[in-house]
Amino acid sequence: MHIDLNSAFATAEQQAHPSLRGKPLGVTNRLSKHCCVIAASYEAKARGVKVGMRLDEAQTLIPGFIMLEADPQKYHHIYQVLARIMKSYSPIVHMKSIDEGVIDFRGTESYHGHQSLERIGYDIKKRVREDIGSWMRINVGIGPNRFLAKQAAGWHKPDGLDTIDWRNLHAYYRSIRLTDLTGIASHFEARLQSAGIYTPIDFLQATADTLRRTVFRSVIGEDWHQRLRGHEVDDQPTKLGSVGRQFVLDVRSADDETILPRFQYLCETTGKKLRYNGCDARGVIVWATFQTGDSWQQRKMFKTTFYADRDIYQRALYLFNQRPRHLIIVSMGITCYKLSPTARQQSSLFASVNRQEWLAEAVDTINERYDSFMVSSAQALAGKHAVQQKIPFGGTKYFELLLGRSDHNIDG
Amino acid sequence: MRQRVEVATLFRLRDSRSLCYPAKMKHEGQEIIFTELGLRHPASKGHRMVHVFDMSDGINDYRLEFDAEVLTWTLVAILEGQHAA
Repeated sequence: MHIDLNSAFATAEQQAHPSLRGKPLGVTNRLSKHCCVIAASYEAKARGVKVGMRLDEAQTLIPGFIMLEADPQKYHHIYQVLARIMKSYSPIVHMKSIDEGVIDFRGTESYHGHQSLERIGYDIKKRVREDIGSWMRINVGIGPNRFLAKQAAGWHKPDGLDTIDWRNLHAYYRSIRLTDLTGIASHFEARLQSAGIYTPIDFLQATADTLRRTVFRSVIGEDWHQRLRGHEVDDQPTKLGSVGRQFVLDVRSADDETILPRFQYLCETTGKKLRYNGCDARGVIVWATFQTGDSWQQRKMFKTTFYADRDIYQRALYLFNQRPRHLIIVSMGITCYKLSPTARQQSSLFASVNRQEWLAEAVDTINERYDSFMVSSAQALAGKHAVQQKIPFGGTKYFELLLGRSDHNIDG
Repeated sequence: MRQRVEVATLFRLRDSRSLCYPAKMKHEGQEIIFTELGLRHPASKGHRMVHVFDMSDGINDYRLEFDAEVLTWTLVAILEGQHAA
């Protein structure tokens, strides 16, 4: 069963502020003249506002359009309540992102007795309204695998509840386009069309061999063959390959005095993520985009692993100083890659290495207890004020970390 | 805003738990009676816990914070209803 909160952040704001209900509004990370909509209410979507649209564009489209700054703690609370409700139905719950998750009901038949999944779906909707608020709406999709459950959840938005199984699979595919399938964007559509596949029904009827050899030219084709007919291929855990942080500058500049505090803050946030995952890194990528429209990137693999903020910053700065210094930076980022499980548990023969490890541990402990970045390098302080906490869109694994919580009570 | 305010609360019984809600508040000499709870959520400030209540009196929305450590109520923001029209 796939559960999806409708326009999650915007609906959360309407739940919190009754005076905003029924009004077109958007949520952005940081209110400014150039800020973008990261979530729009249904009323705004109905009048053409899309995610990624700038504030001035939205206000031209809808005079009186309201933009609010994101409130991560509020969304985190809603996420926690939703996860708690979902976990009361099955021990196997995967929260895919801040506003959607999957309940795996396999093995719970004796627990739920003769209650149908549709009945359980309506029960979850009712509990979300009772436990979070009367304005909250969710889409529920039921299917034999995650893919079809997600498709079902998107069938009748908002507040829908649908099942896709062998009884209506063909009818459902006949009612949609290729790009309505999760994971099929325009470039995959073009590939499918070049192989004579124009509709989801054509896609369903294509052989595994055609999809593997002609369309996707990899095992992905076989996965699609399985996925479309309800077999589960999307339950494999993904391996963490890299961690990083990026930032669109609040003040466009080429000046080190403005850039470096923000850059150091990004390095320290990346270090936190690295240690949170219990990893060391060997590689660093730094990049920047410029006002001219150009972009620049530099990467380097180092001989030894690293995890401390100071080491990350030193390595990243070495690369970052190679950028075209005269160009005005619009956005920048850092990524640590070639990750391996940390070797920090073993004491080093060298006192200086141990001292560095103890320092990193002590700083993390203080920050965890009192607040994120209570202790940080002096230079990163200015960056801390400029770079605000963003909402983690993809996974939710950093939510607890970034909100400064040490208790992992979602998955525990 | 961050103004310390006087708040009268109600403890409502729900699912065998008594949950606390602000019922009314004294602000700038006026008594504001809350008619709806928008959302309540905890917010951590390090290891300190603050409870955030988004309340409405039917016209304006109010954000109140209850500090569970020092037991104080703070009015953080008012969203005036006519501004959201």
